[in-house]
Amino acid sequence: MSYLKLENLSKSFKDDKVISNLNAKIDKGEFFVIFGPSGSGKTVLLRLLSGIMLLDNGAIEMDNQVINEFQPEERDISMAFQNFALYPHMKAYDNIASPLRANNKNISDEEIDQKVKEVASLLKIEHVLNQFPKELSNGQKQRTSLARSLISKPSVVLLDDPLRNVDAKIRFEMRLELPKVLKEFNTTVIYVTQDFREAMALGDRIAVLYDGKFNDINSPKSIYQNPSSLTTAKLFGDPTINNFNATIKKQNEFVEVDIKGEQIKLKRKTNVQDGECIVGIRPEDIILSNEPLENSIQVEFRTKTPLNLRIVFLVRLKNGLELLCSTTEEESQLIDENKKMYISFLEEKSHFFDKETKRNLE
Amino acid sequence: MAKVVLESLNKVFTSKIGKDVKAVNNFNLILDDGEILALLGSSGCGKTTTLRMIAGFETASSGQIKIGERLVNDLKPAERNVAMAFEGYALYPPLTVKDNIAFSLMREKISKEKVDSKVMEVAELLEITDILDRYPPSISGGQQQRVSLARALVRDSDALLLDEPMSQLEPQLRAVLRARVKDYIQHNKKTVIFVTHDQTEAVALADKIAVMENGDLKQLASPYEISAKPSNVFVASFIGEPPMNILKAKINTVEEKLKFEILNDENEKTFSIKFNKDNIKKENLAKLANDQLITLGIRPHKIFFNEKESNFDGKASSSSYHWLGDQVHIGIEINGSSIIGVADRDFEPSSDVKLNFPAESINIFDLETEEVILNGL
Amino acid sequence: MRFNIWGVLKILAYIAIIMFFLFPIAWIFNMSFMTNDEILRKVPVLFYEPTLKNYIGLWKGEIAIEGFATMYVYFKQNLINSAILSVGSVSVTLLLGVPAAYAFARYKFKGGEDIAFTLLSFRFAPALLIILPLNLYFSQIGLYDSYFALIWVYQLITLPLLLWIVRGYFEDISPDIEYAYRLDGHSWFQSFWRISIPLAKPGIAAASLLCFIYAWNNFVFALILGSSQIQPVTVGALAFITASAIPYGLIACGIVVSVLPTLILALFIQKYLVQGLSLGAIKG
Repeated sequence: MSYLKLENLSKSFKDDKVISNLNAKIDKGEFFVIFGPSGSGKTVLLRLLSGIMLLDNGAIEMDNQVINEFQPEERDISMAFQNFALYPHMKAYDNIASPLRANNKNISDEEIDQKVKEVASLLKIEHVLNQFPKELSNGQKQRTSLARSLISKPSVVLLDDPLRNVDAKIRFEMRLELPKVLKEFNTTVIYVTQDFREAMALGDRIAVLYDGKFNDINSPKSIYQNPSSLTTAKLFGDPTINNFNATIKKQNEFVEVDIKGEQIKLKRKTNVQDGECIVGIRPEDIILSNEPLENSIQVEFRTKTPLNLRIVFLVRLKNGLELLCSTTEEESQLIDENKKMYISFLEEKSHFFDKETKRNLE
Repeated sequence: MAKVVLESLNKVFTSKIGKDVKAVNNFNLILDDGEILALLGSSGCGKTTTLRMIAGFETASSGQIKIGERLVNDLKPAERNVAMAFEGYALYPPLTVKDNIAFSLMREKISKEKVDSKVMEVAELLEITDILDRYPPSISGGQQQRVSLARALVRDSDALLLDEPMSQLEPQLRAVLRARVKDYIQHNKKTVIFVTHDQTEAVALADKIAVMENGDLKQLASPYEISAKPSNVFVASFIGEPPMNILKAKINTVEEKLKFEILNDENEKTFSIKFNKDNIKKENLAKLANDQLITLGIRPHKIFFNEKESNFDGKASSSSYHWLGDQVHIGIEINGSSIIGVADRDFEPSSDVKLNFPAESINIFDLETEEVILNGL
Repeated sequence: MRFNIWGVLKILAYIAIIMFFLFPIAWIFNMSFMTNDEILRKVPVLFYEPTLKNYIGLWKGEIAIEGFATMYVYFKQNLINSAILSVGSVSVTLLLGVPAAYAFARYKFKGGEDIAFTLLSFRFAPALLIILPLNLYFSQIGLYDSYFALIWVYQLITLPLLLWIVRGYFEDISPDIEYAYRLDGHSWFQSFWRISIPLAKPGIAAASLLCFIYAWNNFVFALILGSSQIQPVTVGALAFITASAIPYGLIACGIVVSVLPTLILALFIQKYLVQGLSLGAIKG
């Protein structure tokens, strides 16, 4: 039974349709990630969900109640902002205690004190409770902001790219810590990020936002292996998926791919019609070797660079097409760039996209 | 392009109230003509202050800065012949993107065609050809950053200084643009010093990396050496994503096998890693004393899964599993100690995880000084 | 220590400038403790026997002048009038101006900038331009010689002043902080009262001070639109100059007393001005 339902949400600014016909069903306790490039409307969407901005059209339903007309303070939703939004004239303690001191709650000072200390301890910031925001490091500000958003145990917590403004090293630590902390609060989490690795590491499901709506809502693995379109495929994976125009022709158990004269055979079945399309293949799905393997094609070596403890090779086909191939460090040591090089595509890993709409043809 | 030499460079920010701040301590560096250096560290470590001293926006408290053969300490920034891309972009609002990039070239006596072709070259490199006629306030932050970078790249100067040049770039573009920029820099044989807090960027672009913390230079070496042979715990844990696993351990040399007893925060033993003494070099073994407490580091990528036999005693179970497309990150608990491992994307851990810690990937550091004792057994 | 000719010259220049500006004020301060004889003496003296006669006279409402009869002064009433007019004006301005500044800062509505500029343009016009028509209007509707009228007129200047200063301060506050407070469960008004206003305090304090100074120092409007009953100190000072005598000591005393409230207020508000500026921005 879905806890949070977003039905046909729309929001425009003058002629700019930022969000149009956005739909999603989120389960209780789910870690739901909204992933999209900058400018895709993530911030607007969060503002619509939290009530700071009003919808043009559509309905937001929480626990079977339509909450469109509810003021932000009436919705049981809290938010941790990307730039922390801590109250500069209050100490960290009072920032965190703020939700508990709101009017509609009758909590004694002792209870407030106990709860603040509990959350602070969980997020490892007890030692800075008496400091003002300007005295805290970015990492500490982020944790204070999180503490504030979680302390009242809201039903839904919105996290707006919380790790964006935090140093690279601390970001990784928090990426491991966050899910554990959030589990303690048993809340439904909507997490917005621009980093696909973060999305894949943290999300139960990822909703890919661009063109004003969610184009894929699926588990990380499904989105990576079965993207709905080339746009989605390009957003996940570093280096980005190779993609090029080609003509495909089915031949028994093979698919022949013709790239401007160069031909490569894929041993796989498909329902896609013969004809022109865009072929996509991820760098890690290309096999590189010094020997001509089955269904391989010769290529020219250009450069190689390290990336995330893998090695990325830039190779070029005879017709000028450049492709990126990535291997592990160990595998790369078996390749001699001074000898001839051949590539072949891993059997089931190629994708076919429509030339115009860019949609996945399978 | 020229060689850059920093000798005993110091910067102290004096303060009338409170303590003086030692921003940069005794920094020594020789960067050859055409080399790329990364100043890497977290916020406040002194990397930007160092860069600004080289540029001339901060005066050194003591020490020498030489660009080429010239001692530049007393020269104004304009006189040092360096090009700089600032963290805040500092684009000229009333000029178009194209004019912003071409601005610095106007001082050099080259023809208009040459200026245009140089501008187009960098614009294509950084994929900003479609915004050449726009004005800075109307383009996005990531685009502004690319324009700022283009403006610095296009100039002919003795040295090129970049302050966090790619921090705001869209993640999808980063890998591609990095490769192209590196290619351009190497092709034009530029001497480049750039500041970053992103170790992936440093490793991808630089010939040498200077890791800084609290004003001190922690290690100056090639990316490979910094990754494989870190000289202290700070550098070891700063480089690499996921970061190196850092564990406290007690050495046991008296038993038949060499044992590292891994301790938790309360100094209780959790599990032990064992090695055959015959497989370890004698001179390395000599550096280890029995009952010595040390810091042990092993990179997540160097932990091998799917082994038939583990070389530790204790039961390992997986606590988290992040599938990231081309690799998986696995959180492992062994008797209360947690480590992270990286495995092939098809790997799925069973309830009883078998893993191996290869001897050549074990790094030993002194517990107090945090300096390295051994990079690999 | 190195003997630096430029350093010495700089110090001498500072002293000269300070003396130039402070000397008249220091002299007036002295005069307020002197009798008329001492003041009018041909050769000015640095040392004299200070007397509180002027201050007592101001307070009691009458003073005996040597060689002449007793002079009656209504200065005390003037002081009270000034206080009422200034405090009243600033209060009205704060009540109307602070919410208005917030509206201008946060909500972009049609013609917003135009309205703001129109309000600012009131400062460009000299008071004399509108003084006669105003006098006629006010007399007709029976507002001549009332505190209400003057406070209303002062808004022409104080309201835009406060609006423009405080709007800038509200604009500097990131809206996210206000949103965060509302998402904590507080109402819009609570976010305005407990977050926006405290964070804009330095601006509000500075603007209030400036408005107070304007109201307190205003001469033309007070002169034309009111009779002696509501005259503030600025106009009331004219009464000192009589046909028979000019009691310089008394005038000096009046000046000192007139300046005191504004001075004290400025010193008091300084604390808020500095406090607010040190809170820093959201990030870093």
